[in-house]
Amino acid sequence: MQLIIEAIGFGIATGAVIALGAVGFSVQFGISNILNITYGALMTLSAYIGLVLINHGINAWAALAISAVAVGAVSVIYHRILLAPLVRRGTRAIAMIIVTVSAGTILQYVIVAIAGPSSQSYGEQSGQTFHFLDLTLSFGQVTIIVLTAILMLALHLLLTRTTLGKAMRATSSNRTLARSCGIATSRISDIAWFISGCLCGAAGVALAITTVSFDFSLGALFLIPMIAAAVLGGIGQPYGAMLGGMIIGISSEVAAAVSNPNYKDVVAFVILIIVLLVRPRGLFGAAWSSRRLMEG
Amino acid sequence: MAWEYYLVVMLVYLGTDLLAVWGLNLEFGVAGIANLAYIVVVAAGAYAYAIVTLGPSSGNGGFQTYIGGFTLPFPLALLVGAAAGALVGTLIGLTGLKRLRQDYQGVAMLVVSLMVTTIVSADIGLFNGTAGLALIPNPFSNLDPDTARWAYVALVAVCCLIGFVVLRRFTTGPMGRTLRAMRDDDTAASAAGKDVVRLRLVVQAVGGAFGGLSGALLAGFIGGWSPSAWAYIETLAFLSCIIVGGRGSDLGVSLGTLIIAVLLLQGVQFLPQIASSPGLSEDFGWIILGAATIAFIWFRPQGVLKERRPRYRGESPSKLPG
Repeated sequence: MQLIIEAIGFGIATGAVIALGAVGFSVQFGISNILNITYGALMTLSAYIGLVLINHGINAWAALAISAVAVGAVSVIYHRILLAPLVRRGTRAIAMIIVTVSAGTILQYVIVAIAGPSSQSYGEQSGQTFHFLDLTLSFGQVTIIVLTAILMLALHLLLTRTTLGKAMRATSSNRTLARSCGIATSRISDIAWFISGCLCGAAGVALAITTVSFDFSLGALFLIPMIAAAVLGGIGQPYGAMLGGMIIGISSEVAAAVSNPNYKDVVAFVILIIVLLVRPRGLFGAAWSSRRLMEG
Repeated sequence: MAWEYYLVVMLVYLGTDLLAVWGLNLEFGVAGIANLAYIVVVAAGAYAYAIVTLGPSSGNGGFQTYIGGFTLPFPLALLVGAAAGALVGTLIGLTGLKRLRQDYQGVAMLVVSLMVTTIVSADIGLFNGTAGLALIPNPFSNLDPDTARWAYVALVAVCCLIGFVVLRRFTTGPMGRTLRAMRDDDTAASAAGKDVVRLRLVVQAVGGAFGGLSGALLAGFIGGWSPSAWAYIETLAFLSCIIVGGRGSDLGVSLGTLIIAVLLLQGVQFLPQIASSPGLSEDFGWIILGAATIAFIWFRPQGVLKERRPRYRGESPSKLPG
């Protein structure tokens, strides 16, 4: 029993990182209708930017913030100069997915060429631990959980309480209609890609902090739980992605505790397949998102 | 002689890549299925070939563990490889039972590819984990080495010939037209009475058989097979051959295979080596491959050799738009 309670604590920390990533991925799909696989490689990029900063003596949390903003900027540029023009030229979704996989591969191998293929580590974080009920968590894990909670709350307030958030939601649900209402949809897109890029960057560094060591495949492997979380919550739905991240994080840590830790991601995978076969629009998917995901 | 050995290797790689690219082009280029897990069917064929030719896992001192363990003659083992590819291809195709958007299903299949690699790497009992399987018997090992090498080239060539004949049954004629209709507008195809979900499963089974045969031939030639040989980006290499060559055109993708899989990915090995970072030329290969794929989608989405637009009776060629 103690084992399971500890696993739940770890699961909340894992789920927080997954939620950070999945929300950004989901926002990008919602706003631009693009499933951006480059997201994984951008997380890897962020982890390596963080590594350089930490090696220069910068505090890990400052490094997280800097990397997040940097990846946010890269995401906006990436969308502006490659993805958006391709969509305007009428490139079909099936080709766009290959573009984002190709761009991810390029980025991943540029990172390998510069940083080398060997494993990296942020080094020992503060050894302080926290005890809450029966849960034991490291300082890093607690900070990431709190940070995720703050970022999610901030995103919630942005989407519901500000004009900008309203414009983002409008663009997400019907781009053409939003534009006819006078919303500058391309500027809204830029902002949404910046915010989601920041989440991607934050998730990359947070993931590197919580793992013992990482290499260039960090982001690619993270695609399994992240896509599972986004799809479970209903892709394009930020709240769904938050909940999906928590469900995937906790269930995979519990499964890893009671069985083989190598099979941690299998739970995420099984959930993904069941959702695809039973309810492809996910838990929170509205009818319009169902229409968008299915053909015909 | 060294160059002769190198030529044999190139020819075998070309042949096996052709089979895989043809299979994926049937799925992606002709039927419009973005199968980002295609390399998994190649791996299935290779592992299936390995375990039906290696004999019991207690052999060779029992240094590797795997399921099965038979000693079938090689023509049968190749068929087993193709069958394993078809089976795994169909299983992957089940992700599309709900008729998802093709990019959405593509992402699901990408996750399948990542997941299968993780499982096979982690589970030693399945196919010997990360270390992979070694000492897979070459069917011509009792001939003298030179003859054996060219015999293998001949075997691959025969498989390609048979493969091409089978391929044309699916990419031309009524079946080819049906699949292209489904690719271009699957609502219209279903309205015309085509069972889109079933057709996609059939295509993924046939494409899977091509991939499985390719993997089996590769495993028999190299003599080993491990998870590092089938990372998810290998699928991108095949897709790149298709996009550069001309999606949907059997001849085009064959040309694309020659350009990307042989000239580019093998050619980068001739770049000057830098002693401090030995893997650098291979990294460059992948960077160029990704850039070429994006450049073609941007500047020339139809590829080097454009898919021929079919002409129908009563339609005058001059009236054709575009």
